[in-house]
Amino acid sequence: MNRIAAFLLAACLLPLTGCLDVVDVDIPEGRPLLAVDGEITDQPGPYYVTLTKTAPYFDEAELPRVTGAVLTLTDSEGHSETLRETSPGRYATSTLQGKIGNQYVLTIRAEGEEYRAETEIRRTPEIDSIRAEFRAKSPTDDEGYYILYYGKETPGVGDYYRFKVYHNGQLLNRPGDLIVTNDEMVDGNYINGVELTDEEGSGGIPFKKGDKVRVEALSLPRDYFYFLNEMVTQINNVGLFSTPPANVRTNVRNVQPGSDKAAVGYFAGHTLRADSLVIE
Amino acid sequence: MLRFFAFLSLFFLVLTPDVRAQSAAASGRVTLSGYLKDAANGEALVGATIVVKSLSVGATANEYGFYSLTLPKGTYTVTYTFLGYEPQNVTLTLSENLTRSVRLATQGVQTGEVVVTGKKPDENVKSTEMGTTRLDMKTVKLVPALLGEVDVIRSIQLLPGISTVGEGASGFNVRGGGVDQNLILLDEAPIYNASHLFGLFSTFNPDAVKDIKLVKGGIPAQYGGRLSSLLDVRMKEGNTQRLGVSGGVGLIMSRLAVEAPIVKDKGSFIVAGRRSYGDLFLKLVPDQKDNQAYFYDLSAKANYTLGEKDRVYVSGYLGRDVFAFGKAFKNTLGNRTGTVRWNHVFNSRLFANATALVSKYDYGLGVPEGNQSFEWKSNIVNYSLKADFNYYRTPQSTLNFGASAIYYTFLPGRVTPLSSTSIFRPIALDEQQAVEYGAYIDNEQTFSPRLSAQYGLRLSMFDFLGGGTVYDYEGPNGRQKTPVNPQQYSKGQLIKRYPNLEPRASLRYVLTDNSSLKASYNRMVQYIHLVSNTTASSPLDVWTPSTNNIKPEHADQVAVGYFRNLKDNAYEASVEVFGKRMDNQIDYINGANTLLNKNLEAELLYGTGRAYGAEFYLKKNEGKLTGWVSYTLSRSERKIDGINNNEWYVNKYDKTHYLSVVGIYSLSERWTVSSTFSYSTGIATTFPDSRYVYQGLVIPNVNGDVRNNYRVPAYHRLDLAATREGKIDPAKRWHSSWTFSVYNAYARRNPYSIYFRQNEDNPAKTEAVRLSVFGSVLPSVSYNFNF
Repeated sequence: MNRIAAFLLAACLLPLTGCLDVVDVDIPEGRPLLAVDGEITDQPGPYYVTLTKTAPYFDEAELPRVTGAVLTLTDSEGHSETLRETSPGRYATSTLQGKIGNQYVLTIRAEGEEYRAETEIRRTPEIDSIRAEFRAKSPTDDEGYYILYYGKETPGVGDYYRFKVYHNGQLLNRPGDLIVTNDEMVDGNYINGVELTDEEGSGGIPFKKGDKVRVEALSLPRDYFYFLNEMVTQINNVGLFSTPPANVRTNVRNVQPGSDKAAVGYFAGHTLRADSLVIE
Repeated sequence: MLRFFAFLSLFFLVLTPDVRAQSAAASGRVTLSGYLKDAANGEALVGATIVVKSLSVGATANEYGFYSLTLPKGTYTVTYTFLGYEPQNVTLTLSENLTRSVRLATQGVQTGEVVVTGKKPDENVKSTEMGTTRLDMKTVKLVPALLGEVDVIRSIQLLPGISTVGEGASGFNVRGGGVDQNLILLDEAPIYNASHLFGLFSTFNPDAVKDIKLVKGGIPAQYGGRLSSLLDVRMKEGNTQRLGVSGGVGLIMSRLAVEAPIVKDKGSFIVAGRRSYGDLFLKLVPDQKDNQAYFYDLSAKANYTLGEKDRVYVSGYLGRDVFAFGKAFKNTLGNRTGTVRWNHVFNSRLFANATALVSKYDYGLGVPEGNQSFEWKSNIVNYSLKADFNYYRTPQSTLNFGASAIYYTFLPGRVTPLSSTSIFRPIALDEQQAVEYGAYIDNEQTFSPRLSAQYGLRLSMFDFLGGGTVYDYEGPNGRQKTPVNPQQYSKGQLIKRYPNLEPRASLRYVLTDNSSLKASYNRMVQYIHLVSNTTASSPLDVWTPSTNNIKPEHADQVAVGYFRNLKDNAYEASVEVFGKRMDNQIDYINGANTLLNKNLEAELLYGTGRAYGAEFYLKKNEGKLTGWVSYTLSRSERKIDGINNNEWYVNKYDKTHYLSVVGIYSLSERWTVSSTFSYSTGIATTFPDSRYVYQGLVIPNVNGDVRNNYRVPAYHRLDLAATREGKIDPAKRWHSSWTFSVYNAYARRNPYSIYFRQNEDNPAKTEAVRLSVFGSVLPSVSYNFNF
């Protein structure tokens, strides 16, 4: 809801005469850091971890991959395995199975440094249903199909969620499509049809009859929620009441004695529940 | 409250010997006292002077126009003066105490000259005040204004040492301080959010404002509670002589003010209102007709003289902004204040004012209907009582003293679902309560014609009260901390007390007839803080009291200045150098969530701040061309545990260079043209030096987690205005004028902020985007009238 407020405040002034334009900014090139992008879920594996290095901000080339690293994943039941590098910089599990209630530790030995990331898989509610609802044009809505979520939230404050929407098999993944929320205001209530999308669909192509829609609901650990929430802020940081730019947190810590080389990114545990429909 | 009365009686005890001394001394000396008023409308002339040239003594009228001057018995020529008014010379034979109220008439406008200040010509040099600026409403009205709307707060940003983080940002920054560090008083009532429309316009209706004073250094002991400045806005009292109506029509809003005597010469009132009408245009657009966006404010004041010794003032303000998007969203916010004041003249040398006031800022937002309906409310309310005394001991010494108590309640946030089908549940953060006490004594002393001083001491104390649960917080600085050790407090129970002593002093030494040196020191303490993690403060920001975790902020400021008037006071010039050290400054962890967070304190970080700079000011007061040039060179930095690797960083209020040039030229009796030019260093911000990709989205990152390592490009802007007065016909009371203005004349896209994003069409490409609040020229026209 903070986002609604911030957006409203920001949005309503700009139409006056305000404007956005792309400008040239001269910034130095930061030194490369390890960037981690990986997850483990309660669904069957394999689970993947991708290692890259940060690159100068305006560099358009693909991020350099970190190959030859040794990744070990251990769970709180004592299972442990070393990940295989299936393609350059991409590492996969073979045997480990993610489970609700377990904690996980990922250690990464790469380029002479050792890093460690801890996470867990938390409880999850089930999806009742998702629906597509057609809405006519109104002062606040444009005409089109909206995707709505129905389901009971688990009683007890402290649950965190991310929703992913796929349109004809393609994840809606523009900066504005990243939806994360918590149960602070809705704890234990029935979520009785909340919009997960606007009418725009994927990349501005609206939802229409016959389209296939898949929704994934992820229950997140608290720290991962903050990571995603900070990410939302930083990649949509526009408007009069934008927050000053700041780094997004990470759960990847350098544990090499005497080293101060930081890492970025996240290795996250989460559940995954999904439902799909075809718009009729 | 008992403590408050204890303070009061303490002061009466201090006072008593002097009161006795007065009657004893009555044999040799007598006192001339009374009120100084405008002849045409009866408004008090704040700061007007009375001088007895033969004795080289004088006095200045206080905020209510009262003056008192004690002299040996005898016959004197007494001169009453106020800039812009015809001086009056009166020969008086004083053999006993004499009350004499004087009305001064405004100087003819035939000269076509504009008087820029409402103070005596050499006050710049002669008064002990420094770091102080009075803005005359006449000047404010001639300076080019955004969309033609005369604006008090935008005008003071043209003065040295006062800046803003960006246009459209609410509030202002004084000498490197935050927007919450300014004590903004409207008829003594604090205003907690001084802007409409998210910062574009200030809350003050220029038609209802009489006098604006900004003090940024050497703040007298009478005022406390904020670190950086005092903005004292006094409302007009209303015409005591006849009915007067004034108003205006502009592109954004219309104004109307009515003032009239209640009983001629005894009492009067003024009611002034404004309303924007953007929403009326919305109604014309079919799919916008259910949307609302408007603001209004209403200012009202009445005064009545109960006798020679007593006068009562009642004033109130109500301002409201309303935004609604159909049935999907509604947001309202605003300030309201009410002040009752009672002036009492105990005797010709002791003037007192007692004030009772209430002030509230609140906002609400929510969704009125449907399964996502809710209402979210937040507010700050204060009730306050105070008493202030001016005791004119001798022509060389005036004692000011008084006491105050402020009771606060804070509602940080409460969410209520509005229908049974709403998915939301009720949430309420603990309401917080606190009391702030103050007592002060201060002496304005003339030691010799060259040396005078104002020095005093303020004793302040803050009690943070229950009920609710408070926590301690554990964990490393720089990351979200963990609440531990919950403690329950019942309502009204003392949780934490902070007493403080605040010494204040200003010195003036006259070098020559037209130049002086001044120095000042003040210690300020601030007990309430605005929690704002955005670049510009937002209307949803919440005020918080000092708590068991948030400590009061302290500031020590030293300033030295050289003041010089040139060409018989036609020009005034000054250079002031200041240094300021602040502690318990609040900042935020990366990604802090400051709204509706019951563990807000887990996201706060504390540290020290320092600001220093030099302010240059040259002003031309007379002639066809008037105006000023102000330039500030300054630095404002912070060192906070957990930010920027615990090293100093420039904060967002830091402006290395800040220049304003204001020119007002009287072309003819009817035409006046004016122009302002502003330049300032761009605000400091954090730019990334690298990027990474997480699940297909590009995230910016900066090595070393440094803060404010870059600046957005410099800000500069030229504004122009022309005012055409209607024909001046002494036979008619109707008077009107047209004002044409052009804001941002050369259409510069001043960057408000720069942010970084992946390209919409090609996610592999990243870009820096500039946000400008005004991207083009903004012309406007407005029509004003009065009769």
